[in-house]
Amino acid sequence: MLLSFTCNGQAVRLEAEGAMRALDVLRDLLGLTGTKEGCGRGECGACTILLDGEPVNACLLYAAKLQGRNVLTVEGLAPSGGAVGLHPLQEAFLEEGAVQCGYCTPGMLLSAKALLDRVPRPTVPEIEEALSGNLCRCTGYAKIVKAVQRAAGAGR
Amino acid sequence: MEYLVAGSVEEALRLSGELAARGRRPRYVAGGTDLAVQLAGEAAATAGCAGPTAEPAALVDVSGIPELLRLESARGGLRIGAAVKLETLARRTDLPACLAQGARAIGSPQIRALGTLGGNLCNASPCGDTLAPVIALGGRLALVSAQGRREVPAEEFFTAPKATVLRPGELLVEVRFDEEALKGSSAFRSIGQREGQAISQVNVAVWARDGAGIVSAIRAAAGSVAPTPVRLKAAEQVLRGRAWSPELGREAGEAAAAEVRPIDDVRAPAAYRRLLTAALLREALGEACGKGR
Repeated sequence: MLLSFTCNGQAVRLEAEGAMRALDVLRDLLGLTGTKEGCGRGECGACTILLDGEPVNACLLYAAKLQGRNVLTVEGLAPSGGAVGLHPLQEAFLEEGAVQCGYCTPGMLLSAKALLDRVPRPTVPEIEEALSGNLCRCTGYAKIVKAVQRAAGAGR
Repeated sequence: MEYLVAGSVEEALRLSGELAARGRRPRYVAGGTDLAVQLAGEAAATAGCAGPTAEPAALVDVSGIPELLRLESARGGLRIGAAVKLETLARRTDLPACLAQGARAIGSPQIRALGTLGGNLCNASPCGDTLAPVIALGGRLALVSAQGRREVPAEEFFTAPKATVLRPGELLVEVRFDEEALKGSSAFRSIGQREGQAISQVNVAVWARDGAGIVSAIRAAAGSVAPTPVRLKAAEQVLRGRAWSPELGREAGEAAAAEVRPIDDVRAPAAYRRLLTAALLREALGEACGKGR
């Protein structure tokens, strides 16, 4: 089917099978490989993208569901594609050392962005709840939670 | 796999009928959080197999049908469209407490942003966390097919693990609750192997009406303790017409533990599930009937 949607602020039109995974549309058809595949069954959150501002697992999302929607991937997080600096969450992840292998990071960033857009000054339990669908097997979460707190405090 | 998008209930029924007539296996999909995993598993299992396989699945997406997206609280009760998102229910503060709490217990934020009430019900997993709440609230499921419309009480909808009374091509359109259900108080409790994203080892929902300190009406239901979610009728019997007290809650918990029929499985042994049923019912009753007493 012909799909029209907005991805990282750009209008996209492409032909894809409706039953294809949105994850594969992003990675294979659009070359946006920042979105990672972890478990492929909606449990790890590595493929988290924002769909109309809500975090969803791109591995469970059928391509047909992109029709007319607004998608944000990690490539669209920094203004101007990173040419003029990073997003406050990305800065905070760097400052706090919240990245180790980095595989979960794009998903963590997007879940955190959805939270801060809705709750600008979240409590630690609110951060933990918002990140509960994102698994990290390296850092143990403490630095990730601190990074989200830092970004929230950075006048977002 | 064929993927069709329906814009109305009539179109969904027509597309499903046409697919079936062409030898496809039509499935309605809303959020797809359970179905996508299940179909990917089937595809992987049959890949490379030479023998005969089941007819190919074909999806009819019902998630954008306006009638399935309604959430109306009006005179005469509450109607929730089958494609209303779990996250929507989880965040609402004007719904019966046990329903919002049950929706909040499911999956992760990502799953709840896609998954729907109707999907959770039709997937019919015995541990689905909206099933016991819908039963405890006396919900009725509006089902539509080419043959017409019918309403099925939630407690008669589930027939076995992952099986319901839905006929081929029939679509769950909405869940309806009477005004009475909105007047009582309710609560949900579940426990899993950890806090986040865990599948419930047991879940319990209760709805009660209080008449001057007496439990004047009560419905209690539990999931993951039998092949389908079940009413806790022995526990209800203990409670009905009695003055609420924590001791009464304990007595009801014991009755519930004795009446459920759990099994040993990968998530919990049966004996532990009985203990959980008693404890979770006691806690839920404390919230719904005790009001902090």
